[in-house]
Amino acid sequence: MFRNYIKIAWRNLRKSKLLTGVNVLGLAIAFAACILLVLTAWRELSFDQFHTNKGRLQELYITVQRPEGEESRSNFPIPLTPALKQDFPEVKAASRFIAISGSIRYHDKTFQADVKSADADLLKMFSFPLIKGEMHQPLNSLSNVVITANMAKKIFGAEDAINKPVEIYLEGEWKSFIVSAVAKDIPDNSTISFDVVCRFENTPGYVSQKDDWGASSNEVFVQLADHATVAGFERRSGTFVNKYFTAILRDLKRDGVAPGKDGQLMSLHLMPITTIHFNSISSSGGAISKTYPYLLLLIGGFILFIACVNFMNLTIAAAFSRSREIGMRKILGAVKTQLVTQLWGEAVLICLLALVTGLVIAYLLLPGYNALFSNKLSLALLKSPGLLAGVLLGFVLVTLLSGGYPAWAIAKINTLKVLKGSLQAGKSNGLRNVLMVTQFVISSLLICCTLIAWQQLDYLRKMPLGYNRDQVISIPLPYEMDTEQALQRMRNSLSGQTGIAAISGAAINMGRGRDGASQSSIIAMDYKGHSVRSNWLRVDYDYVKALGLTLLAGRDFSQAYGTDSSGLVINEKMAAQLGGVQAALGVQLPVLDSAHPLTVIGVVKDFNFKPLKEDIAPLTMNLVKSWPVQYIFVKVAPGDLQGSMALVKKQWKQLYPGSDIDPSFLDENTDRQYRREQRYSGIFISAAILAIIISCMGLFAISVLVMTRRTREIGVRKVLGASVIGIVALVSKDFVKLVLLSVMIAAPIAWYVMDQWLQDYAYRIHINITVFVAAGGIALLVAVLTVSIQSVRAALMNPIKSIRTE
Amino acid sequence: MIKTVNLQKLFSTEEVETTALNGINMEIQDGEFVAIMGPSGCGKSTLLNILGLLDNPSAGEYYFWDKEVARMSERQRAQLRKGSIGFVFQSFNLIDELTVFENVELPLLYLKVPSQERKQKVEQVLERMNIMHRRNHFPQQLSGGQQQRVAIARAVVAKPKMILADEPTGNLDSTNGEEVMKLLQELNDAGTTMVMVTHSPYDAGFAHRIINLFDGRVVTENIKEQFHV
Repeated sequence: MFRNYIKIAWRNLRKSKLLTGVNVLGLAIAFAACILLVLTAWRELSFDQFHTNKGRLQELYITVQRPEGEESRSNFPIPLTPALKQDFPEVKAASRFIAISGSIRYHDKTFQADVKSADADLLKMFSFPLIKGEMHQPLNSLSNVVITANMAKKIFGAEDAINKPVEIYLEGEWKSFIVSAVAKDIPDNSTISFDVVCRFENTPGYVSQKDDWGASSNEVFVQLADHATVAGFERRSGTFVNKYFTAILRDLKRDGVAPGKDGQLMSLHLMPITTIHFNSISSSGGAISKTYPYLLLLIGGFILFIACVNFMNLTIAAAFSRSREIGMRKILGAVKTQLVTQLWGEAVLICLLALVTGLVIAYLLLPGYNALFSNKLSLALLKSPGLLAGVLLGFVLVTLLSGGYPAWAIAKINTLKVLKGSLQAGKSNGLRNVLMVTQFVISSLLICCTLIAWQQLDYLRKMPLGYNRDQVISIPLPYEMDTEQALQRMRNSLSGQTGIAAISGAAINMGRGRDGASQSSIIAMDYKGHSVRSNWLRVDYDYVKALGLTLLAGRDFSQAYGTDSSGLVINEKMAAQLGGVQAALGVQLPVLDSAHPLTVIGVVKDFNFKPLKEDIAPLTMNLVKSWPVQYIFVKVAPGDLQGSMALVKKQWKQLYPGSDIDPSFLDENTDRQYRREQRYSGIFISAAILAIIISCMGLFAISVLVMTRRTREIGVRKVLGASVIGIVALVSKDFVKLVLLSVMIAAPIAWYVMDQWLQDYAYRIHINITVFVAAGGIALLVAVLTVSIQSVRAALMNPIKSIRTE
Repeated sequence: MIKTVNLQKLFSTEEVETTALNGINMEIQDGEFVAIMGPSGCGKSTLLNILGLLDNPSAGEYYFWDKEVARMSERQRAQLRKGSIGFVFQSFNLIDELTVFENVELPLLYLKVPSQERKQKVEQVLERMNIMHRRNHFPQQLSGGQQQRVAIARAVVAKPKMILADEPTGNLDSTNGEEVMKLLQELNDAGTTMVMVTHSPYDAGFAHRIINLFDGRVVTENIKEQFHV
């Protein structure tokens, strides 16, 4: 019997090649898209799940009430961690963690490396297994380092890395270390990562800040004791805060700050290690919002659902045309379960065919997909039991939905009716219409969301930021270099060249450079009895000129004035804290120490020095050398931008023949800030296009069936004098109505969802009704074109032939 | 073998109610060959469907081997039908996707006959219907007469006690029609009860008894020759 089923299924598939093609191809594309999306989501959700102790590992963060609102951060004073271990029996282990250098040297070879410093507990808490060397206490000496296998291979090649001397560039000089152990490479789904890790005591500024509770730098990870709970820890943290943060608490009280919801001005909290990838409070984590992976899963589900609906509609329609076979089987003694098994079996066969095709498509698309969306996915991920089970479950659900329901619907119909063929495809349209509307609702929804997201990104890209980004080249300077000297030498060699307008430097890049870095530091001080907070930006002479900022009062930093090393240029927001633009000029601020205050020499118009997700905050620019310059900015004349870029690179090569730089224009950098959004909007656009294509494939197949059914009607109408256009309009009308209804349902949903999304941006567009009109237009146009292919063919058919058909 | 008492069948839509059968009383003996005749719409096919357990009457009684079956569920009827009734249709109703052999094999599959026995029985019946040489062909590759012979082979392969034929020669030319009627007669001679709906007086001539229907009632019964049980 089973062989009989397979045989007839195979022959049926071959007989109706068009329907089978649409079914298999549509489903296969949907499976492929779904697999890629699920893999992407799975990878995001798998972050930091590999730690054996993951249930007990937490990252510490602090919430502080400030006059401008609540602030949460994960950076802490250096002495906090030892105090934590001493005061909290709940804390079994704890480690500080911070990036300290980007360069490591072996003999005369220098390598780029992610060098972190941490406490010895780090390697015990987290699952970063050691594979060679000192396995128990690899960081027992201050001069020990642990490096990853990959880094070891890069530095030492085939040589054994253990006990080899290396040097790390720290605080302007090379310091010597010994490799004590080699760790297995950090999985790429780990938020915490390093190439090289040394003891925390090597952190620059450690000695001067080791008892300083005022400055915050490192992150803190803790492992809770087996009996301890997060709630218990947080409850007891009040006493700890009161004991150690006395000065800050006193200032907050003085400034009249209201306590938070928990009644505290400052409170310590923990976040599970498995959530830091999605939590922007974490300095290491916060790569993406947790909604994104779920959104991807949802979209994958949508696409699969659309393909399933096609399958369902087509299977039902095709099965009606097979009514004679089904009727005959019933007469010959088949019972309902046998028929359901047979028809469902056919669906399973098609789905299986589609799944295999889908896997092949996904495999072929994966390299391109990875490149396009900067992912590192592999189909091997599918081998993980959870994902495999999910995929299988999804597959069974798809076959049940797409094949099971039609099978059941057909098998239960009265034998005589099926045999007589008195049931025809498309006679009972209710379910089919509901399903088709659902498909087009989803497609229109995706189109609307895509259009709005694209508009928002375009708006962000084109919005004036208050500085010149088209003509300014930013050069990230190598870590191990004397950067002040490099800036001076570049300034000397470039100034006066044609095409070069101004040269300056800063400790922080604008946007996100090719080195991927973006950072900020904040200072706080007392001014006339209240505390003033500001972003702190080390710049160099001519910064205002090089960036094209607008001066409102005072002047730019200039080498012509010998006193400018103690001068400050501030923005309007900062000036407002000091009493206004004019009043701020000449104000002396006790930023570093009260004996040597710094003087405001200029006020510039506010500019967006941070991504547009954030409002402009107070900013203080200075020339204080303890924050070294890390970037050179060169303003070039408009016109030959590429020529100027080449000139900059050439000059650098002449000055530093052995050193490579990777300069970029600031507009590239600001674009890079929205890379995550662009990546996701890329996925969205692809998904929307796919959804509409698959919906239309279904629409096409349904229109084939409907036209076949209406052939005679069309023939009769033509004999009676109907025009081709009239007939096309007649048969397209039903579909057009459904698509219009779908757009009307989708529009308010899209409006609501995207309005929520836009709330994330400080600068955002207003959703315009034209988006919905455009989305509706696109959906309608594509649908009408799809249906027209069939309706025009039917309308052009010789009426004699079409009447004879039945 | 079968007996109906005051059999009625109503078809109703939202607006009209049609009486297809209006008090049919009849009895058919084992081994009998009965032809049912009458104009279009007189209820012939409806009667045949009820006799074949494909449909239930609206009222009245139907005894199939002394068992009242008029109120049975579709599942029960299917169970009873399987193996005891064979069907032959005007439009053959062969399954296009199956070969001649597979079409004939189908009833045996549903009866769960073992493979070897199935093969033997199908080959036997194909030989008998003189269609063995076409066993691997698909229905569309055969002439109408050949298709009907396959349909008859399928109807008899499970050795049913009764065959119901709904205008078996309706789609055939006279030569093929004659051949099919002879086959049916042979089967009847071998002991199979035959109930046939037909428009053709010639075909009806093969039957022992002709029942004439008009507007859902039996109007006349002609017994062609003495028939002994």
